[in-house]
Amino acid sequence: MTSMTPAAAAARSTLYPKLSDAEFAPCADGSIAAGFGADDSAQATRCGLMDLTPLTRTGFRGAQAAAHLAASGFPLAEQPNQASVTGGGELVLRLSQREFWVLGSLQDMGERITGLVAAACPDSGCYPLFCQDSHGWFTLTGDAGSAVMAKLCAVDMRDEFFPPLSIAQTSVARINAIVVKHSINGVPAFSLLFDSGYVSYMWDVLLDAMQEFGGAAVGCSALR
Amino acid sequence: MSGEQRLAAPMGLLIERDQPVSFSFEGRHYRGYKGDTIASALIGNGQWLMSRSFKYHRPRSALTMAGQDANTLVQLASDPNVLADRTPIAEALRVEGQNYAGTLENDRDAILGKFGRFMPVGFYYRAFYKPKGIWDWWEKIIRKKAGLGTVDLTATAGYHDKEFLHHDVVVVGSGPAGLQAALTAADGGASVLLVEENTLLGGSLTYSRFESTGVHADAVRSELVSQVEQHANIRVMTEAVCNAWFTDNWLPVIKGNRLYKVRAKECIIASGSYEQHVVFRNNDLPGVMMCSAADRLMKLYAVSPGKRAVILTGNDEGYLTALNLADQGTEVAAVIDMRAQPQSQSLADAVSQRGIRILHNSTVYEALPTAGNLHVRGVDVRTISGQGKVAPQSEIIDCDLLCMSAGFMPAYQLLCQAGAQLSYDDDKARFELTRLPQHLLIAGSVNGVYSLDAVMNDGKRAALNALQSLGLGQAQTLPEVHCEQQVNFNWPIFKHPQSKEFVDFDEDLQIKDIVNATRVGYRDVQLVKRFSTVGMGPSQGRHSALPTARLVANATDRTVSETGVTTARPPFVAEKLAVIAGRSFDPYRQSAMHHRHVALGAKMIPAGSWQRPAFYGAQERRLECIAAEADAVRNNVAVIDVSTLGGIELRGPDAAEMMNRIYTFGFLKQPVGRTRYAVLTNEQGVVVDDGVSCRFADDCFYVTATTTGVDGVYRNMTRWNAMWRLNVDITNVTSAFAAVNLAGPNSRKVLEKLTELDVSAAGFPYLACREGEIKTPLGNIPARLLRVGFVGELGYEIHVPSRYGEALWDIIMEAGAEFGIRPFGVETQRLLRLEKGHIIVSQDTDGMSHPGELSLDWAINRKKPFYVGCRSVDIVMAAEQTRKLVGFTLPAALMKSGSKPEEGHLVLRGADISGNITSCEYSPALDAIIGLAYVGTDQAENGSQFRVRVSGGREVEATVTALPFYDPDNQRQEM
Repeated sequence: MTSMTPAAAAARSTLYPKLSDAEFAPCADGSIAAGFGADDSAQATRCGLMDLTPLTRTGFRGAQAAAHLAASGFPLAEQPNQASVTGGGELVLRLSQREFWVLGSLQDMGERITGLVAAACPDSGCYPLFCQDSHGWFTLTGDAGSAVMAKLCAVDMRDEFFPPLSIAQTSVARINAIVVKHSINGVPAFSLLFDSGYVSYMWDVLLDAMQEFGGAAVGCSALR
Repeated sequence: MSGEQRLAAPMGLLIERDQPVSFSFEGRHYRGYKGDTIASALIGNGQWLMSRSFKYHRPRSALTMAGQDANTLVQLASDPNVLADRTPIAEALRVEGQNYAGTLENDRDAILGKFGRFMPVGFYYRAFYKPKGIWDWWEKIIRKKAGLGTVDLTATAGYHDKEFLHHDVVVVGSGPAGLQAALTAADGGASVLLVEENTLLGGSLTYSRFESTGVHADAVRSELVSQVEQHANIRVMTEAVCNAWFTDNWLPVIKGNRLYKVRAKECIIASGSYEQHVVFRNNDLPGVMMCSAADRLMKLYAVSPGKRAVILTGNDEGYLTALNLADQGTEVAAVIDMRAQPQSQSLADAVSQRGIRILHNSTVYEALPTAGNLHVRGVDVRTISGQGKVAPQSEIIDCDLLCMSAGFMPAYQLLCQAGAQLSYDDDKARFELTRLPQHLLIAGSVNGVYSLDAVMNDGKRAALNALQSLGLGQAQTLPEVHCEQQVNFNWPIFKHPQSKEFVDFDEDLQIKDIVNATRVGYRDVQLVKRFSTVGMGPSQGRHSALPTARLVANATDRTVSETGVTTARPPFVAEKLAVIAGRSFDPYRQSAMHHRHVALGAKMIPAGSWQRPAFYGAQERRLECIAAEADAVRNNVAVIDVSTLGGIELRGPDAAEMMNRIYTFGFLKQPVGRTRYAVLTNEQGVVVDDGVSCRFADDCFYVTATTTGVDGVYRNMTRWNAMWRLNVDITNVTSAFAAVNLAGPNSRKVLEKLTELDVSAAGFPYLACREGEIKTPLGNIPARLLRVGFVGELGYEIHVPSRYGEALWDIIMEAGAEFGIRPFGVETQRLLRLEKGHIIVSQDTDGMSHPGELSLDWAINRKKPFYVGCRSVDIVMAAEQTRKLVGFTLPAALMKSGSKPEEGHLVLRGADISGNITSCEYSPALDAIIGLAYVGTDQAENGSQFRVRVSGGREVEATVTALPFYDPDNQRQEM
């Protein structure tokens, strides 16, 4: 993966000045924190935090949103607040009967859904959403994820009550967030999507909560 | 007795004899062992005196050895009022006594005990106020004497946090009932949290022998604890306190510096019961303690509590303690049984076989003190001749330890917080807790069950009921468990002519204090509490509630049931504010350009949840910075980050109809590529927000809203459309866009360098909007551009997806460098908009402001059939008007005298208040103080004057001035 400096691209995560220890790599039209050191993979397996805000994602809402995504080959969960995973590792979140978000995969750094972002929507009943910019995206990795979330969120996120691919639209550390439980290459993960204005706040809050579990920032390459 | 002289194992369950610990108390050094509390280590060293009582400064020592009383409150370096019988010793720990003058041993204030008759209950309500003004003199003395301990004002709270926990069943208390309940529930498949406030699991099994041989309890405990600790379904939390019960089994559990917010589907309270003291003269002397306290000292800490003991009991527990003491080498001089006979004759036989004398139907009438009341040296024993009465014949028995047990009071606090009713059977002296809410169960001695087998059965019964509610297990239930063991003596209160028979140790309240409270008219136990302060000390009535109820009942000729006990409110034990606060979550938002502002030296201020630059420069140069920034906007070019401005996108065939119904203006015919001012009223006709509506397509509107109002606007739009069912998609895109306002006469020249769009006056006129791109060396950025005039100069708002926000800022600063562009902040923007007379909703409006008062009539389309609030707007604007928002000016010279009006200052009409200032600034452009104010309609004419009361009560005359103050023909913003 080629390294670069975040300021060398027009698109930037608001968080990059805080990630001075990271090595950045190109991602979409910006850059992403790819690694923080040789121990990244082990750290991610224990308790890691990734800033995936630059990774491509999109969303659609409206009566025709489900049909549009299905026609584009994306599997859809049957119930709201459930996610599905594509063969390429994209996550398709069903947030309501008529609202879906598609999160890019680390396998191809979101390449596969750039087409979906660029593709025309049906004439009516399907509106693209602004989640690439309106929301920050952090992924909490490792076995301690549920315990970390228990310090920040009132929803019981242990596996038996919140199995993989469950979604909670809830409050995390007093801000609205969408929480998705999934895994990355077998490592348990929680993806948190929240108002992008809060990325700095949320980053600090999560790292603080992770402290007792030996948590630390990791790059997106840690689990690729 | 030195630390090394401890009882042999198996005594000392908690201490580690191979790990000595040194600490100091009152400057003297002591040794204990790891696992010791301060109290056990001190008593182990023969140091009984630990504190002085609150009112009479009487010497006090351990009463319960369980943290249930205030007798052991001591001072640590930065922590006052620490319970010595709960706090472990640590190497080099410095412990001091509290509440004394001189030394702990020789407290000069102990003389207060001799003036007790001059300080009757409630005396402070009646004293200190006469003659008039004397309180000022008394207050200094009382404040100096009141309160315990010393607060370290330099101490920091340290790190505290919170965690949510979810369990099927939470069991509070790990005595035999709790252990059995946890095991049964866990065996049935429930996820169980077992909460225990002590270090060891087992509750009374850890110190009480339950039967004469003293081996069964240990075996039961060992077996139960082993099973619990190995059970996969049980999480054990020791040294944790469930500090309250809230609706739906919301349980705050405190362990160390963490508050666990526990949610339980079923909750079993197995909190046990508190041993009660006997009320007799000098029952507070060091060396007088509960039977369970002596048991704890021996069993948990291997400390012998005395050489020669007397047991005073109203139940069989005293016999068990006598056996414990005898087994550990203490001479037991006598068991004084207040009853006519013991319930278990075999226990009595076992005691007798040890050569211990048993006196029935007798009591200790007075404990005899050593010099200075520092310890008990003997007891005056009398025969009980009636309720609370004793025969005149006296027998003195020498002893250095008096153990007492009048009975047991259920630990009812959490249950009563849940709405349970505590009732008392006056005949059998038994308590019962009834009317428990659903999914809250009780087991063990808190449920009136005391014998070990019955207690364990009760735990099992509660757990099976919980499992049934959870739909787990075999839905097996057990019948109610009954226990015939009677533990309470019905009247363990013996008045003495010289008093000092303490009902409440915390507050030094004696029998006469409670009785006198009833005599001055306080019949209700709640009023007795407030008048006498009984039960209001640190132990919160754990020992005083029952004798108080008995005394009030007796004095008012009622039963204890009729009298009741005082209310138990959270918290159960004292909790630190730091624990409640936890780690404070104080969310803040930063725009994509935040780091650029910081690098430029911006003074950041909060704006709703956002952090925004107020101005750029040092705080002490505030006015200078703002003036320079304003000058740049007026005469050159400047840029402000307006990313925090709210943004809502409406898309779909009914987008225009939605806009038309929500906002006051007409939007159906708003041309594509044009903006329009949008005012939002609520159903009461009050202006609640405003913004700019941009139409980018027939079916697409992008409407801005105020920084703090956008969430409410969005919420209202979706709420209304839930009813209207219009075909429109509504999205809050506030954080999706970063935005700047590029303003000033040279702004067009800067923008021309950045876009291919025609930005000429004709190609991009005032109030137009465009979609295009901003050119950067790193690639083009998609952008929405709006011709705006908020600050009254040629200006362009540029909105880009937030990921490009920083790059947008960079390229604008770069392109504007040749013109000397500078950033400006919110405070400068507020000044500039004020010069233009533009209102800020929520600053210049309040909960009553309708469009007429704000001169926004022009922004209302009266031809359309509906908008939210239209009917109310019509009504309030048709009514007689009482106030008006007007512009005003004042001479700049008032700045020097500090008489500039501030927001909120009052506008006067004669002696009446007719309005208030909403905005006021010094305008360098106008060299005058300008502002907006609500004034009476009769004061609103241009040129008229009104008075404003400013700081210090002074009044200044303001002149009503037509708006806008600056560029009245709006030529500059439309150029």
